[in-house]
Amino acid sequence: MRIEPLSVVAPVTGRAIALAEVPDAVFAQHMVGPGAAIDPVRAPGLVVSPVSGILVKLKPHAFVVTTEDGRGVLVHLGIDTVNLDGGGFVLLAEEGGVVPAGAPVIRWNPAAVEAAGLSPVCPVIALDADRAAAAALAGSVALGAVCAGDRLFTWA
Amino acid sequence: MQRTVTVASRVGLHARPAAVFVKAASAATLPVTIAKEGKEPVSARSILAVLGLDVRGGEDVVLEAEGDGAEDVLERLAELLTEDLEG
Repeated sequence: MRIEPLSVVAPVTGRAIALAEVPDAVFAQHMVGPGAAIDPVRAPGLVVSPVSGILVKLKPHAFVVTTEDGRGVLVHLGIDTVNLDGGGFVLLAEEGGVVPAGAPVIRWNPAAVEAAGLSPVCPVIALDADRAAAAALAGSVALGAVCAGDRLFTWA
Repeated sequence: MQRTVTVASRVGLHARPAAVFVKAASAATLPVTIAKEGKEPVSARSILAVLGLDVRGGEDVVLEAEGDGAEDVLERLAELLTEDLEG
């Protein structure tokens, strides 16, 4: 079965950067998977779903959406933010629910994350992408200013 | 062959510890599955599947592999899970 190219949209507003710039070695070395990251605008804002699908995992600081064809995308809100134990994150969707691309999932404040001494940079990761898909994906990242809901990269 | 391990990472097998574990499992010579006790096993080579397990720190998981060298493969992966991968 031919899998259609998947447009992955920016979950937050900010500046799209290469994963290599993420201040965390595991993300920066693509160990979680290929993708991109967003350095978010330092203001309270919404985090939206990067693709249409099922919200299979929802934590205050991270979530995974899987598409109908089984591809999973991870959004991680900041680095080491698991240590905030959910403080400052408001969940707007339910785990197990269906979310369209661009639908609000979490409300947060990147400025508060930064004030807590953590990086608010958000990796957006294509999970289990094979090598060929990863290479194509890397070339498709729309670097620079992005608004939540704009195309971030294409997963072919 | 099975091996039950307690996950040491305080935050559980979330993004980063899961990635380190999946990378090691992908490099292993045999396919390995991971399961929460009494639940369906999933491929230890799939980050999506491993994140989906939602393993918390201090929980037990069951690793399974069959074939030549299974004992060594399970030993290595079990060791990884008993380290604090957040460190």
